[in-house]
Amino acid sequence: MEWNMKKSVIHLDGGKFRTYVKSAPRNYSMIVMLTALHSQRQCSVCRQANDEFMMVANSWRFSQQYSNKLFFAMVDYDEGPDVFSALKINSAPVFMHFPAKGKPKKGDTMDIHRVGFAAEQISKFIAERTDVQVRVFRPPNYSGTLALFLLFLLIGGLLYLKRNSLEFLYNKTSWGIAALSIVFAMTSGQMWNHIRSPPFMHKHPNTGEVHYIHGSSQGQFIVESYIVVFLNAAVVCGMILLNEANRSSGDPSKKRIMAMCGLACVAFFFSLLLSVFKAKYQGYPYSFLLK
Amino acid sequence: MSDTGKGDIRSALSNPGGWKSLIVFSVLALAWLAGFSSRLFAVIRFESIIHEFDPWFNYRATHHMVEHGFYNFLNWFDERAWYPLGRIVGGTVYPGLMITSGAIHEVLHSLNIPVHIRDICVFLAPVFSGLTALSTYFLTKELWNPGAGLFAACFIAIVPGYISRSVAGSYDNEGIAIFALMFTYYLWIKAVKTGSVYWACLTALSYFYMVSAWGGYVFIINLIPLHIFALLLMGRYSQRIYVAYSTFFILGLVCSMQIPFVGFQPIRTSEHMASAGVFLLLQAYCFLTYVQGFMTKSEFRQFFVFAIAAATSVGFVGIIGLTYMGYIAPWSGRFYSLWDTGYAKIHIPIIASVSEHQPTTWVSFFFDLHILICVFPAGLWFVIKDINDERVFIFLYAISAVYFAGVMVRLMLTLTPVVCVLAAIAFSKTFDIYLKDETKKPTAEEIEEKEKNDKYYDKVGKAKKPSSEEGEKEEGLGMNVKSIVVVAILMMLMLFAVHCTWVTSNAYSSPSIVLASYGQDGARNILDDFREAYYWLRQNTHEKARVMSWWDYGYQIAGMANRTTLVDNNTWNNSHIALVGKAMSSNESAAYEIMRSLDVDYVLVIFGGVIGYSGDDINKFLWMVRIAEGEHPKDIKESDYFTPQGEFRVDSAGSKTLLNCLMYKLSYYRFGELQLDFRAPPGFDRTRNVEIGNKNFDLHHLEEAYTTEHWLVRIYKVRDLENRQRSLDVSSKPIKRSSSKKVGRRKKGVIKHKPSVVKGKRNKSKKQTSTKKTK
Repeated sequence: MEWNMKKSVIHLDGGKFRTYVKSAPRNYSMIVMLTALHSQRQCSVCRQANDEFMMVANSWRFSQQYSNKLFFAMVDYDEGPDVFSALKINSAPVFMHFPAKGKPKKGDTMDIHRVGFAAEQISKFIAERTDVQVRVFRPPNYSGTLALFLLFLLIGGLLYLKRNSLEFLYNKTSWGIAALSIVFAMTSGQMWNHIRSPPFMHKHPNTGEVHYIHGSSQGQFIVESYIVVFLNAAVVCGMILLNEANRSSGDPSKKRIMAMCGLACVAFFFSLLLSVFKAKYQGYPYSFLLK
Repeated sequence: MSDTGKGDIRSALSNPGGWKSLIVFSVLALAWLAGFSSRLFAVIRFESIIHEFDPWFNYRATHHMVEHGFYNFLNWFDERAWYPLGRIVGGTVYPGLMITSGAIHEVLHSLNIPVHIRDICVFLAPVFSGLTALSTYFLTKELWNPGAGLFAACFIAIVPGYISRSVAGSYDNEGIAIFALMFTYYLWIKAVKTGSVYWACLTALSYFYMVSAWGGYVFIINLIPLHIFALLLMGRYSQRIYVAYSTFFILGLVCSMQIPFVGFQPIRTSEHMASAGVFLLLQAYCFLTYVQGFMTKSEFRQFFVFAIAAATSVGFVGIIGLTYMGYIAPWSGRFYSLWDTGYAKIHIPIIASVSEHQPTTWVSFFFDLHILICVFPAGLWFVIKDINDERVFIFLYAISAVYFAGVMVRLMLTLTPVVCVLAAIAFSKTFDIYLKDETKKPTAEEIEEKEKNDKYYDKVGKAKKPSSEEGEKEEGLGMNVKSIVVVAILMMLMLFAVHCTWVTSNAYSSPSIVLASYGQDGARNILDDFREAYYWLRQNTHEKARVMSWWDYGYQIAGMANRTTLVDNNTWNNSHIALVGKAMSSNESAAYEIMRSLDVDYVLVIFGGVIGYSGDDINKFLWMVRIAEGEHPKDIKESDYFTPQGEFRVDSAGSKTLLNCLMYKLSYYRFGELQLDFRAPPGFDRTRNVEIGNKNFDLHHLEEAYTTEHWLVRIYKVRDLENRQRSLDVSSKPIKRSSSKKVGRRKKGVIKHKPSVVKGKRNKSKKQTSTKKTK
């Protein structure tokens, strides 16, 4: 077991597996990942799982309560196919726990279909099975910070380049458009999409019918929130048009057309929104213009 | 309008000023009246009772204060809650609500009007909604014009987003806090406009009232500095904002620290640091403008850049250093979860478990605000196009509030006023154009008449409108177009009023401690099980008896049954809650040990399986497991409560741990003998629509004490230790005893009640615990 000092995950083949994992009297538990990493196997899930597994193993390796009670190991299919057949496993990746005493039971295989294989879930699984708490230490993700930094740099650079004509900062229209986009994004539930991550739209598996609107008032699809953004924006445009009609100079008939267009926008798109709402909210009795 | 009383009616009639104020006055009075009466659905349908959960605590505290006096209230140590820890109530509540209703009680009694404190508590929120309408009117008047103000007042009086927290009986902090919020903002705008110390002092006092009323005061103390900061960035610095902010900040800081619950937080937590930072920045800026007078332009330019950079970095490093050294507390979890939206889900399950802390779908925006949500961006647009110092404020308010409302459903409440204000601006601007009569009539009048008409949508309003218009062809839009536009928009506003009434009546007027179900013939059936059970506890148990239940029901047990509880809705002690959760999710004998160690006498569970009530304890059960697992990961594992397929089910396919845990047993004890319907097997759970999996079991350490008429509340008594130790393995063996001898002792009568689906809980998320918590 000395080589564990060098590497956090022990690579096993068929023989080693029998020696270290199957041998009966042991004073340690093993967490074994059975996987297929060779590129000709084309198992992209295995790669992701491997990264997560490595993260847990490294966290354990460099943690303070590191001891000989727990070891991480992995078996690649191409190195030890006999292990797979012995354990009657025909899929990868599989996470198994081999307790110090006795045979692995049903609960010793991690249910990755249900909980996934995020590092936190693996450590939770380990804590459940072995009472060893592994605090996952994720290498911090710098990409977000970097992107933010680049964005600031970009904005700063733009401002610097355009330093002679900064009027666009005083342009109320651009500010207005920015503000309205925030408002539309929020009132159409983009934050809900961000947190709950719903599907883009729903396709009925049998009939192939596509639903853009979620059937209940508790949920929504991503495309649905875009529709709502559009409807809201149309109403607002209509409202602004109604007000601009009076201000613009020109012949009266043009103004009149503008006003009627604005009104039509407001009325039509609002009633459309209302009917979408009515479809989602069972038992809602009112509608306007449209059913 | 005071002129009219003076005698010379003719001159008063021809005086437009008098007419104007009469109309303003009557519109505001009508808005108040309409707002008040549309909040009375619950009182008329049921009775004058306190609703839900938190209001029961507020009511109990108010009652205590009225009985024992203010100082005793501040020193109140409540030994009835959080047994065996107790709770220092005086130092852990926002006392503004209690003081307000206590003061009203005091005044009425000194006038010899004997009103019970409960009635004051029930009607407090509707009365304050009128005051909110007034302050919204004044705010909008300062921001735009009086016509828009009247629109805003009418909107806020009836808009569902605000009614949801202020119906009669919902005696909660938010009811008065929104008034305090709007009033503070009005005074602040006034202070910025005038730059007088007088208005700034009033702002600080109003802010003080807000701090005493609601934890949401943090919104004010961050928004006002943000306003100042934005004004500085825009180069709109002036003597006025310097005076207003400096006065407000210092007075407000000192005042807010007088509230025991807030204490030293304003100088020690990160939430308040923005205000201090902006205060320093403002001083520095002021100093720089003073120095500017003594320097040449180029000198000043260098100096300015250097000074600003130095000041910012010193301030920033200082705050970080103080935070690091522990003088300033970092952001608390609740506020932090507003920025990092995934935070609460991972780290604080007790916050994530509350349905009001979920993000908002567009449906709930539309449900609560209807046409206003579509129109208010237009108002925002007009405000930006025509910006000045005070409109910067409403702009910032709108952007920040709309973000917070998107993250959390309950913060819709702070969004609602600004939506009303901005939508009112949009409508008022439109009507200003389209109602303008080119024959030189005062236009404000028309707008206000519109106003009244849109409140009384079913009356004469519509017919009158086009008659006042006259065909004017040259320049302008022409009367036909104008009247079409006006009529169409009025119709939409009428629809808004109808929608508000419908929503209020259907969604927001259920007291939730009294349920109503409707039979096939439309007859209403009142289910009063909660009060039945609480009254049973009050009458039949020892005065010092300790009742264990999930935390949702703590306040109600304390308020209605007057018994000691272990945990309640003031969720300050997570480990204690986790202990109760552990007891509920362990098997009976393990739970018995926990209950013995906590001195529990009675256990109370809510069970909706008979009538199909979805908010019962089994549906909340997973949260109990999760919270228990957070503190006791060795004993409780969430995965044990799922089937191997990862489903949570109570039928025979469910996991063994679930079918034998205490909560399951207490909910379904003897339920297997009950056949509700000829078509369904015995023990058929109507809420989850399955036949339960574990039917014939017996309880060893508990005995059934009381079950209410519809089985909604079940109370069990914890047995004393036995004189002679039974062999312990009995409890773990499956019980095979025949249950025939127990059949038919009682509860046969339940079958004849036609159980049916309970209305009124529709819009709440089903699987989450559906209670709220104050910030």
